[in-house]
Amino acid sequence: MSVGFIGAGQLAHALVKGFTAAGVIATKRITASSPDTDLPTVSGLRRMGVNLTTSNKEVVQNSDVLFLAVKPHIIPFVLDEIGPDIEDRHLIVSCAAGVTISSIEKKLLQYRQSPKVMRCMTNTPVVVREGATVYATGTHAEVEDGRLLEQLMASVGYCTEVEEDLIDAVTGLSGSGPAYAFTAVEALADGGVKMGLPRRLAVRLGAQALLGAAKMLLESDMHPGQLKDNVCSPGGATIHALHVMESGGFRSLLINAVEASCIRTRELQFLADQEKISPAAIKKTTLDKVLQQPGVGTGVGVRSGISLFNNNHPRNKK
Amino acid sequence: MGVNLTTSNKEVVQNSDVLFLAVKPHIIPFVLDEIGPDIEDRHLIVSCAAGVTISSIEKKLLQYRQSPKVMRCMTNTPVVVREGATVYATGTHAEVEDGRLLEQLMASVGYCTEVEEDLIDAVTGLSGSGPAYAFTAVEALADGGVKMGLPRRLAVRLGAQALLGAAKMLLESDMHPGQLKDNVCSPGGATIHALHVMESGGFRSLLINAVEASCIRTRELQFLADQEKISPAAIKKTTLDKVLQQPGVGTGVGVRSGISLFNNNHPRNKK
Repeated sequence: MSVGFIGAGQLAHALVKGFTAAGVIATKRITASSPDTDLPTVSGLRRMGVNLTTSNKEVVQNSDVLFLAVKPHIIPFVLDEIGPDIEDRHLIVSCAAGVTISSIEKKLLQYRQSPKVMRCMTNTPVVVREGATVYATGTHAEVEDGRLLEQLMASVGYCTEVEEDLIDAVTGLSGSGPAYAFTAVEALADGGVKMGLPRRLAVRLGAQALLGAAKMLLESDMHPGQLKDNVCSPGGATIHALHVMESGGFRSLLINAVEASCIRTRELQFLADQEKISPAAIKKTTLDKVLQQPGVGTGVGVRSGISLFNNNHPRNKK
Repeated sequence: MGVNLTTSNKEVVQNSDVLFLAVKPHIIPFVLDEIGPDIEDRHLIVSCAAGVTISSIEKKLLQYRQSPKVMRCMTNTPVVVREGATVYATGTHAEVEDGRLLEQLMASVGYCTEVEEDLIDAVTGLSGSGPAYAFTAVEALADGGVKMGLPRRLAVRLGAQALLGAAKMLLESDMHPGQLKDNVCSPGGATIHALHVMESGGFRSLLINAVEASCIRTRELQFLADQEKISPAAIKKTTLDKVLQQPGVGTGVGVRSGISLFNNNHPRNKK
């Protein structure tokens, strides 16, 4: 089995690092494409032994499982480019936040009768094999395709199948979750430093406390509230600390965060579905690079708005 | 799990080389009085009681022994899944090998390092109480997930997994937490929107407050103990009664108007 990545950024880098650490696939069976060969992630991938190319078509030709690891607004250009090269064996896995399975299938159906599409939402800790991944299955994907993807993603952390309509909420929770944790550890360390600890020790202890607590939770049937009760001795230090946190509405801030991330994801999806995205919303340099790719439609108007999923524009099909 | 259990503290002392004091802080002095006479040269006493200083323990044991080997450690509950965070400080008469022995033990259940004793209260506030902050956070994250449509079990699972993965990334990386945060915030994306609402509510400040509050309370409890007076109301009476019933524990301790915890002047029945 060969795996391909369209896009060689943070996500591709993290997944490849995790897969190779897990030993589920050899790097020589992985191909990744990027128009920008100067990216640090590109050099990282090259060092790991991944086959690198600037040609998306080459990735498609050398893969069975094809991860679309580019930014959401690039997806339609990529699909137009690689559409003609998709074969029956290909399993297309989109990792792009907010891009629906139906939008991808709609595009690929121009080229193929039953494109096998799946959509997944993962997170950066796949790089240390403790990711959180969910995936949804498209119309033409088989049960074995789901199992194959799950096998791959379970090698780098937790993985489970969900209905597609839950993916935005998952984005808000575990997709963005690591950022909440990094912020929390920095703040905890600040607290430790304020009370006299050296910085390195404070960061270490803060991260270790979070890791240990999370592991306890995952390995226990107990309710998180019960686990919290168990560490709050009467009149002790911990319950004093919890009080000040509750007084500041700590819990509410985290609910707000999950909600804000989820809502923004839906917003981005809505903009994409509207099949219009302003040029300002696409970094012009990225767009130029994409348009320079051989085979990508030059009939796409840049001036007054870009139709992302409009089938009526004349395109150069290869 | 196959541990030998007994109601006799003395039996534990007789059958141990490394002796952990794993009782509540206010019970420590009673225990020390009881086992003091049975401590031998080989014994390494490790106190895990929050806020109880090495000097207070040494002071008590010096009644019975010339060079009691005492160490103090602060750990946390995730030792149960072998991902604890432990720090320890070394007493006057403890040797280098004693430190290494304790570190070997505690490193088997997580992170362990030696510190100066004056840092232990801050460690209590950070990693001692830390798991409680994390449990609360996961519950809140799960509430957020449920609000946005996820089933509860999945939400708890994803919340805990996200924290675990992020913490692991941090521990295995040389990068600053702020840099790691930057790396996951794509321009105009969902994550930076979420971070904004957190910052608007003073999220970071709440966690600094928490560490501070826990540390201050620890120092408070230590101060009360050092003052060598603790009101009877501060000790659960049933616990005190059970302790006083132990053979060998001083019956000269007054319960009515205040209890001297480390006062050597009260008449005691020494065994």
